[in-house]
Amino acid sequence: MSEPEPLAVSWLEQVGARGLHLSKVATGLWITLVSAWRSASAPGDGARDVCRAIAMRQIFYTSFQALGLISVVALFIGATLIVQTELLGGALNRETAGRVLVAVVLRELAPLVTAILVAGRSGTAIATELGVMRVNSEVLALASLGIDPPRFLVWPRMVATIVSVPILTVYFSALAVFGGFVAAFVMDSHGLGDWQSGVAMGLTPADIPLFLTKSLGLGGLIGWLCSYYGLDVGVSPTEVPQKASRAVVQTLLACIIFNAVVTVAFYAIFGGNFR
Amino acid sequence: MSLFLDVAASTEPGITLDRVQFGYESQPVLDGVNWDLGQGQCAVVTGQNGCGKSTLLYIAAGLLSPQRGAVLLGGHPVHRLLPSERFRRGIRIGFVFQEGGILANMSAMANVSLALHYHADVLGLNEEQIRQRCEEAFDQAQIRSSDWERLPAHMSFGNRKRLALARAMAIRPNFFFFDDPDVGLDQRTATVIHQLLCQLRDDPEVTLVVGTNRAVLMDRLEVPGYRLQNGKLGLRTSGSSLPPTWHRDGPRP
Repeated sequence: MSEPEPLAVSWLEQVGARGLHLSKVATGLWITLVSAWRSASAPGDGARDVCRAIAMRQIFYTSFQALGLISVVALFIGATLIVQTELLGGALNRETAGRVLVAVVLRELAPLVTAILVAGRSGTAIATELGVMRVNSEVLALASLGIDPPRFLVWPRMVATIVSVPILTVYFSALAVFGGFVAAFVMDSHGLGDWQSGVAMGLTPADIPLFLTKSLGLGGLIGWLCSYYGLDVGVSPTEVPQKASRAVVQTLLACIIFNAVVTVAFYAIFGGNFR
Repeated sequence: MSLFLDVAASTEPGITLDRVQFGYESQPVLDGVNWDLGQGQCAVVTGQNGCGKSTLLYIAAGLLSPQRGAVLLGGHPVHRLLPSERFRRGIRIGFVFQEGGILANMSAMANVSLALHYHADVLGLNEEQIRQRCEEAFDQAQIRSSDWERLPAHMSFGNRKRLALARAMAIRPNFFFFDDPDVGLDQRTATVIHQLLCQLRDDPEVTLVVGTNRAVLMDRLEVPGYRLQNGKLGLRTSGSSLPPTWHRDGPRP
């Protein structure tokens, strides 16, 4: 027997289907966030203690255990940037190299690359773990025991990524500066004072709100989106890797867009203060 | 026309399903189900595989929200409450899932003590009392102390089922749901579970619902049986009214 021909789908139907899918995702994301907030603010000292312990374990896994990976990436990014700047600007222009390091690495690359590494490492773990729990009825089992799944599963993971990304971003920045310093010293040991003053002059008070907005926002996005996609798994185990992959891709896109929007907004507001 | 079944002699409200409708995408599962089971009563739900027994139990326990209609446990609309709010109002649900629903990354002891720690302030328990309650639950479910610190993945299917039972018993629930409690179990484990079910049936504080197609279990419990068919819930009198193919070998009373 021959296969039935697939039904022709017009572009209008495709647009409609895409719109419906996007509205479903938006609604799901909103429900995930609101239910996590609502359940986290519910009373219960016992629940608070249990969830705090989970959040601490998640913070340990997300930040402390990622230090090795972050170290390698930060050192090499800092060093590579300084090598390229030196090659383009000449060894005499040390102060500019230091300022470039601040502008490119500390303001842009540090939060974004840290978020990408956390999304790739912890985001995948969050989405996969929650997806497997859904498939194995563990989420329903929690609810049956009077445990709020958003509070027990989503909230500690969001707290962990919100706390970990700023910590790791500071660590990334410090190691990137160190990597750049080593690279500059290896290329030419003269003018290191200019380079250091360039780094110091490149930093401004406006960098603090920029750093906080980016790192806290990116951390929140990772925990939120990956938890949503993990809990969006239905009953089939084959959905788990699909949702985990989608979680990471969507999270990376969201992080890149968020980083760009915050940069533009801050330069529009504080423009002169960054020079 | 939907059936309205009321065998509740108890005056206290137990489980009430009021014109409940539910379906998965285009497949209807429950079609205007009305059901009233008084506090302290026991019932068995039967039905062919895939008819929606598990879904009915999930909805009756407030784990799934009906698409239409209302579900009340002890007079409270459970699907509108957070699980913790439900617990605070004294609605304590024990649910033993078909596949166990055990938290895979926690030891047996952590699985059983989790809800006790989470609700320690509501239950007024300290660490020592929590430990004691866990040990009582393990004893009731006949789980050896050498298994207490094991991960579920290192336990047999039967032990995982008993662990699910111990976890549910530990919170001393007043609503107990069993979804196919003895499927795939050896005779010893099935007997343990049957004995516990009989104890729960006789407990006036516990409202018990068992989803099963095992005639032996239904006859052993000797409680009203309901058959779920085409989205409707109808009354059946005994296990002997099950189709002959549903009779399986199992522990006899």
